[in-house]
Amino acid sequence: MPFFNRVWWRPRVAEEVDEELAFHVEMRTRELVDRGMDPAAARREAERRLGDIGGVRATLRALGARRNQHMQRTQYFGELAQDVAFTFRQLRKNPGFTAVAVLTLALGIGGTTAIFSAVYAVVLRPFPLFETERLHVVGETFQGMISSMSAGNYTDANAGVTAFDGLAAEQFASFNLSDGVTPERVIGGKVTANYFDVLGMRPLAGRSFAPDEDRPGREVVAILSHKLWVRRFGAQPIIGRSIRMNGRDHTIVGVMPAAFDLASNDEELWTPIAFTPERQAMHDEHYLTVYGRLKHGVSREQALQQLEAVAARLRHDIPRDAAELRYSMDSFRDQFVGSYRSRLLILLGAVGVVLLIACGNVANLLLARGAARGREMAVRTALGAGRMRIVRQLLTESVVLALAAAGAGLLLANWFITGVVAASPPGVPRLDQARIDPVALAFAVAIGLASSVVCGLAPALRLARGDVQSGLREGGRGSTRGGFRDRLRAGLIVAEVALSLVLLVGAGLLIRSALALQRVNPGFDPHGVLSARVALPQTSYGDPARAGETFRHLADEVAALPGVTHAAVTSFAAMGPGGGSNGLMPEDAGDFDMKKLIQSQLRMVTPDFFATMRIRIVKGRGFDAGDRRGGQKVMIVSETLAARAFGGRNPIGKRMGCCESGADGKQDYKVIVGVAADVRSRGPATPPRPEFYLPLTQVPDAAWDWIGRTMYIVARTEGNPHALTPGVRAAVGRIDPELPLFDVREMEQRLAGALATARFNTLLLSLLGAIGLLLAASGIYGVIAYFVSQRTQEIGVRIALGATAAGVVRLVLGEALQPVALGAALGVVSAIAATRVLASQLFDVSPTDPLTIAAVVVMLVGVALVASVIPARRAAAIDPTRALQAE
Amino acid sequence: MANAPELLHGTLETLILKTLAGGRRHGYGIARAIEDATQGIVEIEEGSLYPALYRLERKAWVEAEWGTSELGRRAKFYRITARGRKQLAAQTADWARFAAAISRVLLAT
Repeated sequence: MPFFNRVWWRPRVAEEVDEELAFHVEMRTRELVDRGMDPAAARREAERRLGDIGGVRATLRALGARRNQHMQRTQYFGELAQDVAFTFRQLRKNPGFTAVAVLTLALGIGGTTAIFSAVYAVVLRPFPLFETERLHVVGETFQGMISSMSAGNYTDANAGVTAFDGLAAEQFASFNLSDGVTPERVIGGKVTANYFDVLGMRPLAGRSFAPDEDRPGREVVAILSHKLWVRRFGAQPIIGRSIRMNGRDHTIVGVMPAAFDLASNDEELWTPIAFTPERQAMHDEHYLTVYGRLKHGVSREQALQQLEAVAARLRHDIPRDAAELRYSMDSFRDQFVGSYRSRLLILLGAVGVVLLIACGNVANLLLARGAARGREMAVRTALGAGRMRIVRQLLTESVVLALAAAGAGLLLANWFITGVVAASPPGVPRLDQARIDPVALAFAVAIGLASSVVCGLAPALRLARGDVQSGLREGGRGSTRGGFRDRLRAGLIVAEVALSLVLLVGAGLLIRSALALQRVNPGFDPHGVLSARVALPQTSYGDPARAGETFRHLADEVAALPGVTHAAVTSFAAMGPGGGSNGLMPEDAGDFDMKKLIQSQLRMVTPDFFATMRIRIVKGRGFDAGDRRGGQKVMIVSETLAARAFGGRNPIGKRMGCCESGADGKQDYKVIVGVAADVRSRGPATPPRPEFYLPLTQVPDAAWDWIGRTMYIVARTEGNPHALTPGVRAAVGRIDPELPLFDVREMEQRLAGALATARFNTLLLSLLGAIGLLLAASGIYGVIAYFVSQRTQEIGVRIALGATAAGVVRLVLGEALQPVALGAALGVVSAIAATRVLASQLFDVSPTDPLTIAAVVVMLVGVALVASVIPARRAAAIDPTRALQAE
Repeated sequence: MANAPELLHGTLETLILKTLAGGRRHGYGIARAIEDATQGIVEIEEGSLYPALYRLERKAWVEAEWGTSELGRRAKFYRITARGRKQLAAQTADWARFAAAISRVLLAT
């Protein structure tokens, strides 16, 4: 079977036609002359018989060009079909090679495709909203941090800025759905009437809010998310129905489509927010998330300029509340995707590195196989195959390999995606949308083709260059360049070692961070503590005294449950939603000044809170029954707050202004009675912030609105915290059967949740590092083994001449470790450059941590040694007589 | 089954294939062979001979190569391919059926 078609020698079509016709005329003329015609007349007659020569010539030229084109195409596809058929025969003949190459590449392609589909789902996929690029999140900055907006700042921005089609505000809120069967707590939003128009999505059924429905008194309407509509109302027609929420009847006017679930922040229903004129004049309570849809043709800078004009006026007009007001604006997409973008791109980079290592291994396999095929190539060249033709055929082989690998990789990717989604930290937006869709499919095929070129081109070029004579002379044993001093092979090892070193250093840094995080003392003892939340509806618990009394009662009920050693209620447990902060100022710091305020996290607690959470009282005392309503107002400060406010001075007995105005309209002061140990409330990775505690009996009336009358119950037990749940639920039911208990979790789960993202990244990067290391090790093994097999004779001679086994092992290892050492050096340099992208994910370890880098280098070199020892020992065991006879 | 005009239209191609079935020839040789075989009854219209050859080449029923003519001059030779032979057989059979049918009508007594 010929491996190539004959390459046709063809003159250009025009010459071909002219020459053929000239030949014809000449032959005919000669014939006529032979029959006795005069030569000149004979020529005229011959030409006449051809008819219109010019026309015939033009026809033939056109036909000839078309024919050539057609034949080239036919030849190309014919050769392609031959190449593919030949490739399949080759691959079937070497099932071991095929399996290893396909699986190696499939691992790389599958992993890359899986992570890509996650990146696509979370970051790249268009939002279901109308012209998302015009949508922005507008906030205000406070002490350099972007914060929520106050109703006053929203109202003035809305009135003073023309750059937006609309500015919509949302206050996250939760609703007690007490309609029908079981009471349920639902997360939702109170929104301005234009909210859905600004975000850019129409309801699936019903309507969005009418412009006047965000006026006080008209706000008893609701729009459901698709999720809630299906879950609680069985997707039955519901528009116009009335449901009871927070003790009031609301009419359902609309249901949003399922697509809106993906673009929102987990809200399940919305009601209009009704700002009273007093609210609209308040500039110091910041709780609104504001969305702005830019007008067509208006830039973000123009909008910011207009916002700044409003801010400047407010800074001047109300210095007390807005002295530092600045507005901020971020694109909706950035805000929504947040830090996941960079995290996912890092993972994609890491998995891409694994793919590169896989390509390196396959290139190696192809090289080794290519060396064994030197004779085949030489024969082909001798038979007239051009170099390009051979390269094409070899590339066909790697393309077929890579496409097979892409197919297998897609299966793996499907499986990986399931794993990634299952292991991912909660709250990654849209990650559950990751799947093998046409985009992921196209991606897999594209990287498959790219990797076929990456791993196939060099071996193909090398093989096609191999010279005919030596190839034929050498017989089937391969070309003389097979030795290990082979730059290409050594280069592959260098690259593989360098790449896996970068991966492993990244993984190592994350592992060290995770270990450091585990050692961090969160400031409390989460073990054995159950936590859950209860919210009192404003309608029936509007009276602050009643709300406080109810929660204190609840704490007592829970504390009395069997198995409970301590119980308390708190406005904010560590590692959960909720909580708020206030600006505090020590009395001895002088006159009131916004700049002197220390923003501190507030916890309103019952006295047993410190014992329940095992938060140490470092100085002074905790709260007790003596801290009553109407008595001396007291507070406990955290160590960080004490240090910030008083430096080294003893804070006990000092007074601190906070939270409300006193009788004289000035700051109200509380006496500091104790200092509590710091708590890492935002997770172990975040340093403690200033915090303070108020006894539940003495909180300002307004504080109940700050926290939406929602508190945590915390209960400590000697046994399994989860076993307390029914008891706690029953206790809540005894107090008010309409109250739902929600967000029931062990404190340890909350702590683990705060580390979930870090753990996920660590797990994934470690996995990728391990795969990279394994691939690199097998690559090194392959190359060294090949090196030994190629130099059997040389080694045999050395042994015959008296080389010891140890000497041979040293020789082989020495050759092997040269590229490994070079790769490690390159890898260290690249790692130092690359790990910077991880900086934000590291804790207590520098991105260039020498210990991690050293450990990884040692491990990698160790693995490389092990991978080369096996073939080295095989070399030492060579029988010199046999090796020499083989010649 | 082809109808009469088409078969007649393709007759030149069939004749070329038949001629080449005996061995490779250049264009002039094909023209001469057909004239000789039909004793001059069928005179090839030379203006359409070459286009027919190019079309046959494109269909891969014949293939062409440059060689040396009997007089030592460079000439383009045509050779029938395996596919060409198959076509020739099919068209010969068609022609025989067609001719027999026409004969039955015209020569009926």
